[in-house]
Amino acid sequence: MPRRFQKPLLLVLAVLFLGTAALLQRDLNKQRTELGLTRVEPLENAPPVLAFTTIALGSFRGLIANALWIRANEMQMEDKFFEQVQLADWITKLEPHFVQVWLVQAWNMAYNISVKFRDPADRWRWVRNGIELLRDQGIPYNPKEALVYRELAWFFQHKMGQNLDDAHMYYKYAWATEMTQLFGGPRPNFEELLNPKTDEAKARLQVVTGKYKLEPALMKKAEEAFGQLEWRLPEAHAIYWATVGLERSNPKDQITLRRNIYQSLHVSVLRGRIVLARPDGSFVFAPDLNKIQPASDGYEKMIAEETDNPDIVRRAHRGFLKEAIYLLYNYNRTAEANRWMAITKQKYPDAFPPDETVESYALKRLTERIRDVDQNRTKALVEGWLNQHFENLILDEDDRAVAVLRMARQIWDYYDSVSKTRAESRGLEPFPEIYRRVRDSLMDPASGLPPEYVARLRTKLNLPAPAAPETPEAPRPK
Amino acid sequence: MNWHAIARILLRLTIVTGLLRWMVGPRVWAVAGLTWRAAFRFRLFWVLAGLLLLSVVGLPLLLKNDGTARGFIQIMLTYTLSVVTALLAFSTLWLSCGTLARDIEECQMQVVAVKPISRWQIWLGKLLGITLLNVALLSLSGLCIYGLLHWRARQLPEAQQKILRQEIFVARASVREPMPDLEAEVDAAIRNSPEFQSLAPAQQQEVRFQMKERIRATHQIVAPNHYRKWVFDFGLNRHLIGDEPLFLRAKFHVAQTNASGSYLGLWRIGSFDKPIAISPPQSLAPSTFHEVRLEAANKLLDEQGRLTVNFENRNQTAVMFPLEDGLEVLYRQGGFGGNFVRGLGIILCSLILVAALGLAAASLMSFPVAAFVSISLLLVGLSSGTLTSVVREGTVGGVNHESGQATAGWIDVILLPIFKAILWVVNLVQQFSPVDSLSVGRTVAWGDLGLAFAKIVLLLGGILAALGMYFFTRRELAATQAHT
Repeated sequence: MPRRFQKPLLLVLAVLFLGTAALLQRDLNKQRTELGLTRVEPLENAPPVLAFTTIALGSFRGLIANALWIRANEMQMEDKFFEQVQLADWITKLEPHFVQVWLVQAWNMAYNISVKFRDPADRWRWVRNGIELLRDQGIPYNPKEALVYRELAWFFQHKMGQNLDDAHMYYKYAWATEMTQLFGGPRPNFEELLNPKTDEAKARLQVVTGKYKLEPALMKKAEEAFGQLEWRLPEAHAIYWATVGLERSNPKDQITLRRNIYQSLHVSVLRGRIVLARPDGSFVFAPDLNKIQPASDGYEKMIAEETDNPDIVRRAHRGFLKEAIYLLYNYNRTAEANRWMAITKQKYPDAFPPDETVESYALKRLTERIRDVDQNRTKALVEGWLNQHFENLILDEDDRAVAVLRMARQIWDYYDSVSKTRAESRGLEPFPEIYRRVRDSLMDPASGLPPEYVARLRTKLNLPAPAAPETPEAPRPK
Repeated sequence: MNWHAIARILLRLTIVTGLLRWMVGPRVWAVAGLTWRAAFRFRLFWVLAGLLLLSVVGLPLLLKNDGTARGFIQIMLTYTLSVVTALLAFSTLWLSCGTLARDIEECQMQVVAVKPISRWQIWLGKLLGITLLNVALLSLSGLCIYGLLHWRARQLPEAQQKILRQEIFVARASVREPMPDLEAEVDAAIRNSPEFQSLAPAQQQEVRFQMKERIRATHQIVAPNHYRKWVFDFGLNRHLIGDEPLFLRAKFHVAQTNASGSYLGLWRIGSFDKPIAISPPQSLAPSTFHEVRLEAANKLLDEQGRLTVNFENRNQTAVMFPLEDGLEVLYRQGGFGGNFVRGLGIILCSLILVAALGLAAASLMSFPVAAFVSISLLLVGLSSGTLTSVVREGTVGGVNHESGQATAGWIDVILLPIFKAILWVVNLVQQFSPVDSLSVGRTVAWGDLGLAFAKIVLLLGGILAALGMYFFTRRELAATQAHT
């Protein structure tokens, strides 16, 4: 054969062989699984970089992942965090089906690295990095692993939802702002998301599903199961991801997802409403007592689904109901509190003594906190409750305001009755005087609340308008 | 950059080249020229330049960062410089092994060796040629990295650019409090303690140790509801600082952890009672470095150029600032350009050492063996973490945790000294690593560059060069022909 044809011929042969190999690859993969030749499923829909590293590096992937892990640890020890996202990306890409790798890398970013920064915005970025690693990559590569969903739900429930991190309010505010922008208001419009007609609706759906990986159908399903959720708060997302996990993952470890759900439902009742978003980025939360019924139903559902160890969920349910009764009483919803007391006694006979009433239970809970406190602390406690009373009036939380005022009075009465039995005089000033003093200090123009709040309070308390300041005499030409 | 600047640079290059030629002499220069020509003839230069440019330009497109402009620039700087160094190190090793070993094997060396030139001059000429090649490639890569960094930075908002200018694109030096003389303080305490002399020598040693630790603790620990004062003396540097910001770089440990994992940080500048500035309360994590920015340095220093810093501990646990790196103040000492060039200079020192290693190996061995040996040595050097742990544990085979004895026995007797020697060399080179300093805006001082040149090039490179020249001079060139 002439030499000039050799190279083109070789090139054609190479292309032919490659094409044939590509055609045979599918069958080979199938046979590989059928014959049990590999424990790892061949990758599907993987990005080119991952596909390349998986095939080209073979068993050496583990070694490279180890080396990268060592580097990541060293860099972290030296407080050099700028490489961590890249290293975590490589490590997880090299071991995409090793669940613990995803969990550790995401946890490291959301918990260990985030607190290294003092600026809340910096911390939030790292919490987000952890969330995005699990949500955007960990779940697609491990859709049947309950622990990945659990971890993601836990980040929402614990890292953002709890108050252990000094920057937790920043996280909540940032997330609420993002969700408000995402849904175009405080709540998602499911009708529009499920059936988008306008370009704007289609674009919104694209962001909801593409960036945040939220499926409107599943969101709606979660609301159907657990009642209306406050999607601006992290608990709703914890419930969502745990629900998705329960639907998609293997049964192993699903108890952890159920825990995510009922604990988040519990928190949703305790502070599931945003009643005021202050300009400084902080919130005023309030309990959402309307969620008690769906939350209790959620617990029941989890008890029914948990076949291995339902007693754990039952104990949690019992604790939740007791908390709910106390909350209802505190919000002056005594009839509902009585109803839930009856339900609790029927479901969990050991939860209360047989003759316990809502009032006696609430008073017991209240006074057990102040049994050992002295005069100064009791005074501070009464003043604190009175402050809350006025704040709730300002926020139009009238039921709560009435209940809080009642509690302040009960504490005062309780202390008064105890102090009378003692030899030395330790009495508090009369309750109306404390009430007046606290009110006047809040309305003080120099050191009290902002003027618009004072005006609201004045209206609520039917107080007369303040006297207008004296008008100074205008200067006259001489 | 205008034409005058380019002309100035070209003029300087010509002067430096002329000076270098005059210093090494025409024979060494001629061999260096031959090495250059070979590099161009075999297209090595162009292939390497292409690879370097590709990595410098392509790498930033693939990298993920932490989401901040600062993080992006840091990762870009770190990875591009590391890749350039790694590429140049391996190519230098390959080239230095090849240029000498192949010349000998292909009999070209016999032609050169019969000319009026000493063997050591040939060896040195090869080293010079490879070094100049590295200078050219490193300059090219450095220029690209520098340009790319600034180009990417200019795309950022002005606020971000300002942060970069003040924290990354800068050469920041540091001031620390002088270390207390703990031994002197222990001696003073002992003089006031007559019971000490009555103790047995072993007890005296123990008591001395405990006293030293107690004194160290008084310098390091800030008890709850107490404050600690540091005074940093800027000396003559106070005239150079101007109104640039200062950065407190602090790290502390705590006696007890709390649920949030962070602690309240309150800083007062100036006297504690009448501070010039007070920081807002900060939430600080322990055991990590924090940079606290202080605006307008010239308003914070006193007339003698001293900065007084107080840390107020309002936490419920004691806080410990280590004496070594608990608190330092960073201030602007110079620009990024000069710092970057000095950093490249240190990288060049390492490349000269690598070239010397390759040439020394090729002076004694054939090309494949020399390449294998020198690349193996380079890889051993890169795995210094393993070497460190072996030397720290005192054994290659691990420790029996029940008996506490080393398990390797006689192997340790042979390998441990070798590992210690390699580790000493590796640490000597790595202590000058400029990439870390450049990525956090720390000064790479002229002194560092000079020290790197002395230790890496003159000391280590000198030893390898002496060995290489010796073997090459003693080598029978005609006996090593590959093709007869």
